[in-house]
Amino acid sequence: MIINFKGAKTYIGTGGKSLDVTKMTLCFLHGAGQNHLSFIQQARFFAYKGYSVVVPDMPAHGFSDGNPCKSIKENAEWINDLLVELNIKDVVVIGHSQGCLVALELNRILKSSFEALIFVAGSNEIPVNQFLLELSKENPQKASQMMVTWGHGIDGDMSINKWPGHSHYGEGNNIMCMNKPTALRYDLHSCNDYSDGIDAAKNIKVPALAVLAKNDQMTPLKSGLKFVELIKNCETHTLDCGHFLPSERPMELNSIINSFLLKLK
Amino acid sequence: MSENYKFDTLSLHAGHIPDKETGSRAVPIYQTTSYVFNSTEEAASLYNMEVGGHLYTRISNPTVAALEQRLAALEGGASALACSSGMAAMHLVVSAICSSGDHIVASSKMYGANINLLQHTMPRFGVNTDFVNPNDPEAIKRAIKPNTKLVFGEVIGNPGLDIMDVPEISKICNSKNIPLVLDATFNTPYLMQPFKHGANIIVHSLTKWLGGHGIAIGGAIVNGGNFDWGDKDKFPTISGPHFALGGISFWEEFGPSALIAKIRAEGMYNFGPSLSPTNAFHLMQGIETLPLRMKKHIQNTHSILDFLVNHEMVEWVKHPDLETHPDHEVAKRILPKGSGSIVAFGIKGGREAGKAFIESVQLASHLANVGDAKTLLIHPGSTTHSHLSSEAMKEGGLTDDMIRLSVGLEDINDITKDFERGFRAVKKLNK
Repeated sequence: MIINFKGAKTYIGTGGKSLDVTKMTLCFLHGAGQNHLSFIQQARFFAYKGYSVVVPDMPAHGFSDGNPCKSIKENAEWINDLLVELNIKDVVVIGHSQGCLVALELNRILKSSFEALIFVAGSNEIPVNQFLLELSKENPQKASQMMVTWGHGIDGDMSINKWPGHSHYGEGNNIMCMNKPTALRYDLHSCNDYSDGIDAAKNIKVPALAVLAKNDQMTPLKSGLKFVELIKNCETHTLDCGHFLPSERPMELNSIINSFLLKLK
Repeated sequence: MSENYKFDTLSLHAGHIPDKETGSRAVPIYQTTSYVFNSTEEAASLYNMEVGGHLYTRISNPTVAALEQRLAALEGGASALACSSGMAAMHLVVSAICSSGDHIVASSKMYGANINLLQHTMPRFGVNTDFVNPNDPEAIKRAIKPNTKLVFGEVIGNPGLDIMDVPEISKICNSKNIPLVLDATFNTPYLMQPFKHGANIIVHSLTKWLGGHGIAIGGAIVNGGNFDWGDKDKFPTISGPHFALGGISFWEEFGPSALIAKIRAEGMYNFGPSLSPTNAFHLMQGIETLPLRMKKHIQNTHSILDFLVNHEMVEWVKHPDLETHPDHEVAKRILPKGSGSIVAFGIKGGREAGKAFIESVQLASHLANVGDAKTLLIHPGSTTHSHLSSEAMKEGGLTDDMIRLSVGLEDINDITKDFERGFRAVKKLNK
């Protein structure tokens, strides 16, 4: 659905079902340079399982207009305000990559009722190398292509996809190209500059789930494992794939999330 | 580790990793119509397009999917869909994008079946086409109307071998927010990848060079993922609510792969032109050697061009790699590895000479196909177009004396020896 939010056209994927805030809501937060299409195989899956699903395109991403947020805090405030605007009260926030940092920060400021936090390919910090930061300014398309290549495991290299006929690289590059050219640069700087992750992780008081990837080159497994140690009683799983878990291992990821959600009910 | 494998490697490997259970190195042939669901919930997930997977081979199949993913990788596309033939691919694209009242701009110099579909069949369903010279980008621009939904042409035209200036035409299409759909059968992704030049959708007859062995009919659509379908007034069945799946918007839910998702959900479901798993396997065997074959096809083509250009019995030779071809400069720019292995030439002596030549060669096969590993010939004047007058053939860019040659991979000396046999027969006729 498209709404006018904070004066800008804002797209919110709902998984093919109408938003029903009386149900438990799953809010999916995309990663740097991504948009709602990162969660193609999660949005419809959970919407058809009876959850209310919101997958917003952050400002300047996907189908949303507006200026990109310039920090993780700004992203979190934007999401917080959106949840208030949509009158969403009981929410499970599911972040992927940068979305995990936004979820951490959101946990500190959220005015709605937080049910649980799910981190997919997450960490408490996502340092970005100087080369990629500069490239995202000079040539965002090239930077996107490099991220898509680094981000996928062997399934990306070999064009293996659970969705018949789809290519991780071809689809991934074009998803990133849908964003405004400045979006990636601000996202990567936001990730690189974020330094409150340790405190935020220690502050989590709701049930938490982390799904990490063995061959993750963007948020390496080692970093993810240190991160989950900071969270009290974080259920942790590791899948054999690259950083783009939602498209590389959709069924496994959905199954883990679904089991976790059932325990909350 | 991410390797970003190169074309030759992807030709062999893309779309398949040996599974842990059997270790099968080759892509297995999943000769099955259907797939056991583990639960009703899983079945519902597949029907609702919540997740990827296979539910019925008319819609998708693991062997066919490996082929599709290999093609997507080789073309640099977002997604691909394989089907029963190149013409099925063409019809699936047109019917997915256009509805009654819509308009198409197409090249006037194309394969006869492509022209038939657009000129005679689609108008019965309210979709009309204006045909324009593919070498005239301005004419294409002028032909575009408010209800134009796609521009279609062949990168290398069949049989005239005209070359479309893809970068120029894609700029026009882009400025009008109209997808450029190209039949890239004659070039294959080895010679040219149209998405790099701004095209949006590719259709292939896999039967030809991609398969390469003349043993299986197949077609494919590769979607670049680089077209914005978001205009709901212009592309209502892709971006607006669709009757399928409770009013799904393919553009919102699948973004770069919206077109392929729609074709799978509607075209494959309702029309059913599926590719058999066995044919998908045969076609993949061909693709494994595509880079090697294309190199040899081009090498042999250049040798045969030298032979024909200098032969006393040859009236004329047409190939875009020859400086005499009107599109030679465009060909050099967009097809630097070579402009394919189809050659048209005229034999001194007209229609009867052409017939005598065809009937006298032994190695080259006289048949209605192109892109086989073996050398193929046809004389349109005595076969496919024998019912036409010389004047009518000329209007279609054909001549009485024209031979269409699909250069194969045999030893070049054996091909030229075979042709000398044909030319001797023509000489006898001319005496």
